[in-house]
Amino acid sequence: MNLYNIIFYLFAAITLVSAFFVVTTRNVIYSAFNLLLTFFGVAGIYVLLGADFLAVVQIIVYVGGILILLLFGVMLTNKIVNVQIRTGATQILPATIAVGAFSGILISLLVNTEWKKVGTALPGASTTANLGMLMMNEYILIFELLGILLLVALIGAATIARK
Amino acid sequence: MNEFYYIIPFIILAAGILISLVIEMYFTSSEKILPWFSILTFLASGFSALFLVNNVKVVFENMLMSGGNVNFFIFIFNLGAALVTLLSIDYIKKYHTYYGEYYILLMSSVLGMSLMAGAKDLIVIFMGLEIMSVCFYALAGINRNKLKANEASLKYFLLGSFATGFLVYGMALVYGSMQNTSLEYLFLNFTKFNTNILFLAGLLFILFGLSFKIAAFPFHMWVPDVYQGSATTVSALMSTGGKAAAFSAIIVSFASVLTVVNTNVFAPYFGAIAVFSMLFGSIVAIAQTDIKRMMAYSSIAHAGYMTIGLASGNSYGVSGIIFYLAAYTFMNIGAFGIISIVEGKNDTNLTIKSYAGLANKKPILAGLLAIIMFSLAGLPPFAGFFGKYYIFIAAVKAKLTWLAIVGVISSAISVYFYIRIIVLMYFKESEEDFVIENSNTGLLSVIIAVLFVILLGIAPNSVINLISYFAK
Amino acid sequence: MIEQYIPVFIVIIVAVIFAVATVVMSKLMGPQRPNSEKESTYESGLKPIGTTNERVSIKYYLVAMLFIVFDLEVIFVYPWAVQFKKLYSQIGISIFFSMLVFLVVLELGFLYVYKKGGFKWD
Repeated sequence: MNLYNIIFYLFAAITLVSAFFVVTTRNVIYSAFNLLLTFFGVAGIYVLLGADFLAVVQIIVYVGGILILLLFGVMLTNKIVNVQIRTGATQILPATIAVGAFSGILISLLVNTEWKKVGTALPGASTTANLGMLMMNEYILIFELLGILLLVALIGAATIARK
Repeated sequence: MNEFYYIIPFIILAAGILISLVIEMYFTSSEKILPWFSILTFLASGFSALFLVNNVKVVFENMLMSGGNVNFFIFIFNLGAALVTLLSIDYIKKYHTYYGEYYILLMSSVLGMSLMAGAKDLIVIFMGLEIMSVCFYALAGINRNKLKANEASLKYFLLGSFATGFLVYGMALVYGSMQNTSLEYLFLNFTKFNTNILFLAGLLFILFGLSFKIAAFPFHMWVPDVYQGSATTVSALMSTGGKAAAFSAIIVSFASVLTVVNTNVFAPYFGAIAVFSMLFGSIVAIAQTDIKRMMAYSSIAHAGYMTIGLASGNSYGVSGIIFYLAAYTFMNIGAFGIISIVEGKNDTNLTIKSYAGLANKKPILAGLLAIIMFSLAGLPPFAGFFGKYYIFIAAVKAKLTWLAIVGVISSAISVYFYIRIIVLMYFKESEEDFVIENSNTGLLSVIIAVLFVILLGIAPNSVINLISYFAK
Repeated sequence: MIEQYIPVFIVIIVAVIFAVATVVMSKLMGPQRPNSEKESTYESGLKPIGTTNERVSIKYYLVAMLFIVFDLEVIFVYPWAVQFKKLYSQIGISIFFSMLVFLVVLELGFLYVYKKGGFKWD
């Protein structure tokens, strides 16, 4: 049990516990704030995996952007407290079959795969520079397409939200 | 710089999107300019693709493929979108809902589809799928005053995001097992990873995500509601372009499964999907009273027929699917085009009964619809017949005769609800009295679509030879 | 290197301690003599009307959405900016234009929303 493990389990616990509360709490605002902790925990795990740029993006975009949008979305609705989120279960049999088959696949994957063990030492240098190189050389097409994708998302959102 | 020459169709589309943004911003009469400008863009992009069809090359660091069947797909998407745009002009006037974004989103969705067809890397498939889907989510709900359209948009968005989640999860697993996202690498090393369960599960999840977009059986729940709720012209594009793009993505990412013998581990999955989609679509379509819902279930059944081609896993199957997709694009755009012309304001005249006595009121429309229905039912000498013919031949060659037999049975069932429309049009008197507004551009679009249906029916061999020349 | 993140951890811990301490200490140490006047929303002001759960205008949604797109756009500039010198010496001026195309495409989108009145507040 070294320092690395302790930090990993700390962040994993934060992620899982807060995710549990996101689903179970009755107040939507509390759900949103618990989601903040979930995102934060995931960012911590990114750091442990050596993806520092991704961790910062996770904080800036998810915590700083998407969560704010989510809170706005909550405030756009009429009722906040004591909303009946559960809509009742329909189609229980097909759902059970589908979920059962899917979890079966995942569990058998987990058990039967020979997982590659990568060294636990974190990469020393920051990944931002390498990302820049890849983005401008190998993935230049993806990068420009991303501009189009964001443009389309922008126009679509403006169309839907306009009076 | 030379690489840009090969992606001219993509560049034309992207430039068209940006220019139409500027037109929409600065010209008050954009409602008159934009549809014609977008048709021009579609035609330019489509014909440049056809012009470059012989220059097969992989460009941009193994990201994108150009030439061959890719360009054939791009041509089909662009032509289909041009026909849909032609239909939309009068349809939008009918509903008094002009939004400039409509045409811009239409163009962007075609760019997404073309990317999916030309993808040589998993990330490009994802980008193309997202560009296309985001456009469709917005297009489905573009008529914001209509409650059904909002419902369709939200439903499509939620279920579509879920399917995309599956797709990305699958891509992550594939990347995790082979440490590469290149489809070329996947193709060459398929036999090496064939026994890796993580890799196979990844491919299966990718397949789940794409099966959602082709509207195959267990992932079909959204189809009737979305096709019914969205504007009819948008449904026309979703059911043709969206489906064709997803099929093209399946074909490129499963090329190793489809062309290398004895590697088709997914044949049982494809077979099951095909059987259930065909039978479910055909049987449930009989019970429908709304024509758009009927077309939605027919779309599920057609996805099933095309999946037979994937199950047979040979080059006949691949060229059969491509031919079928081309035929289906024109048939469905024609059918939805006529629905959009007959449709009155505020979602009226959308039941099957509205078509009673159409032959007396509008003989030309009735004749065109009759040809399309015959073709959709798979009767010779129209395009739909040869589409099914090539697919079934591929199944027989792959020793999957039982699948072909199920397909024939399902076609026989589907004849009932297609022919019912024709019987209503020609042999029943109209019960309700309504006026069908003339739409010259809409009629032109339907006539072009029907001409292609007849052309593909008369000369199927020349087209299939062209496709199989590139399919290899 | 996990040691690099020690300052971040210290900041987080200090932030948590400060936030908890402020709330708890003021509860513990401050005098508390509540009466009905003090408990009311405004001790000397108008009586509040309705609940605090007012619906917010849909315009906020659009602004937040635009912000996220802008956020994502900026994110992709960082790695480019970090490597610009190296990339410039390797590839040349075209590296500048590839970012310019990306930015122009997106700014055109923002300009479009502006022209369509997406930022108007009435």
